Amino acid sequence: MAEEKKARRPVDPNSAKYKLGKIASDAFADAIEAKKEGKPVAWVSSNFPVEIPETLGLATAYPENQAAGIAARGAGERMCEVAEADGYSNDICAYARISMAYAKLKECPEQDVAMPDVLLCCNNICNCMIKWYENLAIELNIPMILLDIPFNPDYEVSQAEIDYVSAQFWDAVHTLENLFDLKWSDERFKEVTGFSCRSSRAWLDATAQAKYTPSPFNGFDLLNHMAVMVTARGKEAAGEAMEQLLKEYKENHENGTSTYRGEEKYRVMFEGIACWPYLRATSHGLRDRGINMVTTIYADAFGFDYHSFDEMIAAYCSVPNAINLEKSRDKRIKLCKDNNVEGLLVHTNRSCKLWSGFMSEMSRQIGEACGIPVTSFDGDQADPRNFSEAQYDTRVQGLMEIMEANKEAKGE
Amino acid sequence: MVNEIFDQFHKIATAPRAQMDSYLQQGKKVVLTSPVYTPEEILHSMGFVPMGAWGADVELNRSKEYFPAFLCSIVQSMLELGINGAYKGASAIVIPSLCDTLKTLGENWKYAVKDIPFIPMTYPQHRKPAYGIAYTKAGYERVIHDLEKLGGKFDAAALAESNRIYNRHNQVMRRAEEVLANHPEITAAQRSDLFKSAFFMLKEEHTALVEQLIKELEGTAPAAENLPVIVSGILTDAPQLNAIMDELGFHIVADDVAAQSRQYRTDVPEGEDALQALAEKFGNMDNCSVLYNVEKPRVQWIVDTAKERNAKGVIVVMTKFCDPEEFDYVMIKKACEKADIPATLIEVDRQMKQFEQIRTNLETFRDMVNM
Repeated sequence: MAEEKKARRPVDPNSAKYKLGKIASDAFADAIEAKKEGKPVAWVSSNFPVEIPETLGLATAYPENQAAGIAARGAGERMCEVAEADGYSNDICAYARISMAYAKLKECPEQDVAMPDVLLCCNNICNCMIKWYENLAIELNIPMILLDIPFNPDYEVSQAEIDYVSAQFWDAVHTLENLFDLKWSDERFKEVTGFSCRSSRAWLDATAQAKYTPSPFNGFDLLNHMAVMVTARGKEAAGEAMEQLLKEYKENHENGTSTYRGEEKYRVMFEGIACWPYLRATSHGLRDRGINMVTTIYADAFGFDYHSFDEMIAAYCSVPNAINLEKSRDKRIKLCKDNNVEGLLVHTNRSCKLWSGFMSEMSRQIGEACGIPVTSFDGDQADPRNFSEAQYDTRVQGLMEIMEANKEAKGE
Repeated sequence: MVNEIFDQFHKIATAPRAQMDSYLQQGKKVVLTSPVYTPEEILHSMGFVPMGAWGADVELNRSKEYFPAFLCSIVQSMLELGINGAYKGASAIVIPSLCDTLKTLGENWKYAVKDIPFIPMTYPQHRKPAYGIAYTKAGYERVIHDLEKLGGKFDAAALAESNRIYNRHNQVMRRAEEVLANHPEITAAQRSDLFKSAFFMLKEEHTALVEQLIKELEGTAPAAENLPVIVSGILTDAPQLNAIMDELGFHIVADDVAAQSRQYRTDVPEGEDALQALAEKFGNMDNCSVLYNVEKPRVQWIVDTAKERNAKGVIVVMTKFCDPEEFDYVMIKKACEKADIPATLIEVDRQMKQFEQIRTNLETFRDMVNM
């Protein structure tokens, strides 16, 4: 007799999970609908100020989100190979390869998006983004707007940087107004910044609930919910859903429950972008050992809470990957300490030279500062050819054994 | 005489440490300059000897404690040399954040090579608008501030003079490049030495030597043409690569190489404020994979130059893991196909020992072009 398949429990439509999932999927659907209605659509990089397209009422799609979705649904390799056949090296970021392939094919059943009329690029996460969008602009023959936010080698954001980025911000607004006959409204901008800050505050609060032991949530939840922070943080519904998430996490703590199934024996911080093609393997590798990934830098990454225009610009200049080692390290040390982290699991991501390039030194410093073991594994955010489940398992097992020994030494 | 001058270039290009020691013995301070662009004029004007640090063909060992394997070997070898003491005596290193890997080099440098301070240079990608020029200038002021901590003194008149010295050097390098295009007997190895030696000499000294070379070459009858090609990439100084190019009869009639001609295309414009003028120079720079331009004029530059110089093909020398170049390659390939210019891609890195695959690739390319 065939094994009976467990039916999936329907998700409660009043839950944060349902609401956040709907916002994320609506983001793709809304842009497709807008395109059908003849409205312009922008492809936007993840840390571009959403305040611009949202205020102008420009429909958006996020290629990084799309690539993550495609990779999670198993089509990463197929799409990467399309780009490689056109001459793109397999050393190039897999999100970029998937996106270049989509620009060529204009369809991918695993995650379709509306084709763009303009590209909104911001390099505060990497300069690879510039090259990727340059090539998209040429292949699709559409305008590209670059908001250049250089890597900051200093701890604080300088006034020179704020002035430089602010000037570009308004240039971008005026270019979009002229391109698509849109109108900037200060009133609408104020409303959007309010929504964005509201979403950010709720997100920060929700992720901070991992301060409790056991954590009221499984950290892998954050990887999914993050999509809303990327694509929709400037929308009212995002703020509401994030507040719902916070409420649920608080209730979980009060009720002694958690979205983490099983006993939480160990608490780790996960460093790097998720291995989307192996989400299940990476998640189960932890869960099977009683390890909960209680925090990631994403918990901090989308904390765009500001009180003035300059503070908003400074926030975009301070996202992970735009800041120096010391600031990056200190943010992570705080997360580790606030959330009682016992080990650091680092994804050495073949797709991300910037994120992986000073991770060895930084994670050594974090390990020392927090007195926790650090281990890394090789993987990739979207190209399944760069991950070995056996290596992952061995490394996680090693990490667990050190955490276990540490607990014994402390008499826990 | 021509060969004697090239011998001097070769000696300097292959012994940067001796050059550095010589400057140090003269009581000068040396500041290392990283790929791809740095404001050398400022360093020069403040009394430092800028010396190019583009890594070396060395085995990687200690740098692996910092970098994963999939980062560019130029940067990895720079860190290796820094850790091993090859740059000992340098007062500082200036590293711009023009690509993702360079960003990480600066951060690692602070902890891996503590005796040579890291001076960051942050350039804007919107180079041309007034706000971009202002930001470049702010970056320069930051570099000046750090150099002052090392005992340098900034003086606008001195910078104006250094700007002139660098412009003059640019001009002779451009002229030399044109002259070499008419002299197929000059080998790829010699050509590489000419460019590489420029990183290890004060520019006024290099200018004098290059002027001699130009004079001698202009009085020499060129040999019969070999196979004229354009070379594009970040770095093409590997001796084995140049030996293969020479054996196979390629004559480099123009280059789009970051460590070569890309350095010398743009002069500091005239202007009363020398620092502002230097910032404007960066504003005028273009045609490079690490300088944003959505039109990618570099691609058309390669096609147009190939036609102007009667090149029979384009050889793209890809430094492995250099994603800015890897993205541009796709467009170069397409443009060459459209213009009916044969193009080939070879991959190099600084740990490469076996060049047989490259030989086979270039041999096939030569035969195909000659068909």
